Amino acid sequence: MSFADKINSEFELAEKNASGEHVLAHIRKDAFTSFQKLGIPGNRHEEWRYTNIKTQLPETLSIAGHTTWNVSKDGFNGFADIKATKLVFLNGVLNTGLSTIIEETGVTVGSLKEHLGHNTALTEKYFGKLVNKYEDHFSMLNTAFVNDGAFVHVKKGITATHPIFIINLYNSPENFTQSRNLIIVEESSKLDVIVDFQNQGSSSYYNHVSECFVGNNADLNVTKLQTSTQHTTAVHTLEAEVGRYAKFTCTTISLEAKLIRNTTNVRLCGENSEAHLNGLYYGTGTSLIDNHILVDHLVPNCQSNQLYKGILDEEATGVFNGKIFVKQDAQKTNAFQSSKAILLSDEASINSKPQLEIFADDVKCSHGAAIGQLSQDEVFYLRARGIHESDAKSILTYAFASQIINTITTDALKVYLDNNLKERLHLNF
Amino acid sequence: MLSIKNLNVAINGQQILKDFNLEIKTGEVHAIMGPNGTGKSTLASTLAGKEAYEVLSGEVIFKGKDLLEMSPDERAREGVFLAFQYPVEIPGVTVTNFMKAAINAKRRHFGLDPMDAKDFLKLMRQKMELVEIKKEMMSRSLNEGFSGGEKKRNEIFQMAMLEPSLCILDETDSGLDIDALRIVANGINKLRSPERSFLVITHYQRLLNYIVPDVVHVMFGGKIVKSGGKELALELEEKGYDWIKDEVAAEA
Ligand SMILES: Nc1ncnc2c1ncn2[C@@H]1O[C@H](COP(=O)(O)OP(=O)(O)OP(=O)(O)O)[C@@H](O)[C@H]1O
Ligand SMILES: [Mg+2]
Repeated sequence: MSFADKINSEFELAEKNASGEHVLAHIRKDAFTSFQKLGIPGNRHEEWRYTNIKTQLPETLSIAGHTTWNVSKDGFNGFADIKATKLVFLNGVLNTGLSTIIEETGVTVGSLKEHLGHNTALTEKYFGKLVNKYEDHFSMLNTAFVNDGAFVHVKKGITATHPIFIINLYNSPENFTQSRNLIIVEESSKLDVIVDFQNQGSSSYYNHVSECFVGNNADLNVTKLQTSTQHTTAVHTLEAEVGRYAKFTCTTISLEAKLIRNTTNVRLCGENSEAHLNGLYYGTGTSLIDNHILVDHLVPNCQSNQLYKGILDEEATGVFNGKIFVKQDAQKTNAFQSSKAILLSDEASINSKPQLEIFADDVKCSHGAAIGQLSQDEVFYLRARGIHESDAKSILTYAFASQIINTITTDALKVYLDNNLKERLHLNF
Repeated sequence: MLSIKNLNVAINGQQILKDFNLEIKTGEVHAIMGPNGTGKSTLASTLAGKEAYEVLSGEVIFKGKDLLEMSPDERAREGVFLAFQYPVEIPGVTVTNFMKAAINAKRRHFGLDPMDAKDFLKLMRQKMELVEIKKEMMSRSLNEGFSGGEKKRNEIFQMAMLEPSLCILDETDSGLDIDALRIVANGINKLRSPERSFLVITHYQRLLNYIVPDVVHVMFGGKIVKSGGKELALELEEKGYDWIKDEVAAEA
């Protein structure tokens, strides 16, 4: 049986088991129909040219299959230093025993399955609404199959005091796990979300989707951590829609991977809204880290920043594709993009491509891409003070990366990443 | 301390140092003066081990060891310090972290454990006072956005921290205002000791009023063409370099 046939029969089975379900069933079915048309993309597909995901997903993987295992409280990194509501997911399913919730007025968190299952209006309004915009292969697959995920809702006018920390643990080399977040911050509310991914198995495969709704005048700050994701083959899609005077920040930190694709699509739908998309990736071994970003300016007077930095060592590959779309109506757009990568070895490589499509005439748009090595003069300056060449390079690499880490506003998280990076670079200051 | 014999150095295929000779004894202060482009910084960079400078022939013995055989960082750990004419700006590396890495590299070289945090801060404080550097400077990125004078002070601060045996100062005085010159010169003087030698490259006699040299050399066309006592600096200040050039031409 081909992979496609296998996916079809798995969907039929899943549908049968879930029969009689409400509005979700329709959303699933529509998504699956879209997916059937799209399939799993090969490298002839423009968006997947440098990331041949198809060859990296064994055809034996089960999409609907789900396994779980026993994890103790200290069997994973629970980020004890960070005070937050913590939701822990095992292969995409909420584990309440491992989760800790700090109650806050106006803030609802929990299992996606539970919340959508009980609330048709909510489901119709939000679920799958953003991923539909770009009809992406993996988002469609995810919508068709997803079983559970994180649900986060902040009511109008509420500033959440503590971050919501979503910890996703995976351990299954047999399944292509579909996991998901739905994050809704209503008008004039404010929230920080941290999403972490940890691989606990010999290898793991997953397809993770986040849909983020940022209401008028709201502020949502999402940090994605891929720091314990060795042996991980994953596709991440984050979709955000940003309202008037609202602000959306997304920081993606990828320090370990077998193959990780991060697609981040932001739609600036309300005037005077802003998006800040920062990223840091560090590839070693034969890892491939791919960041595809799209900022879609749909209305006037919005601003966006993309600031990505990559470090590629050994035989690692990086892919950066940064799109800025400025629609005809979006006058007075201010869009900025910067992508910098340093290659620490001759075998490392990066494919970097800015892509600007501007249909309005009164816009400020700038982009810069730089690929290079560490500065010889800087290395020499450090060596001239007695620092060994390898340490000098590590210090400069650390300095290069810390610009992104320093944009993180949760102090304990910044410290965690700072230490993580120093450890990776064998630095001890 | 330092013995340079018949040193020939080229950069980009162009020979700059030509049969250069210099002998500096332990505890001595030597000054090198000379017109722009004669190779003073080339000499300094060659001693520090900058790759672009190609040693064609000659030898450099530092404390009994072949300096040219050592990597730039090894030279530094062994006690060579170059205060750069144009210190590089390094965004993202704080002065404190940089110094910690440098001090501990040197300690490791001599089989010592890393310095503990308290001692390190104490040492930093002491040496900052020496060149009157403000504490805020230590948490800033190395040389980034520093004024010309601040960069030079920072070089001397680093020198004080690392306690080298051979201090090479490449135009440390240029770009300093009158007060800063006095502060930096006083800082350097406090580091003078019978165990430490100095090679001071400068264009101005002014600095040598503070740091009184044992020997003054005039460099021209890639080599030393005249040496004398501290009065030679005064004479150059008064008369310029033309008479030296004439002397060299007459000899040739
Ligand atoms: N990278 C290079 N490529 C080619 N020539 C170089 C290079 N660096 C230096 N030179 C040349 O070498 C010569 C000596 O330069 P150097 O910097 O040593 O002079 P200097 O005596 O220090 O001058 P100044 O007093 O202006 O500092 C100059 O003619 C300079 O142009
Ligand atoms: Mg010079």
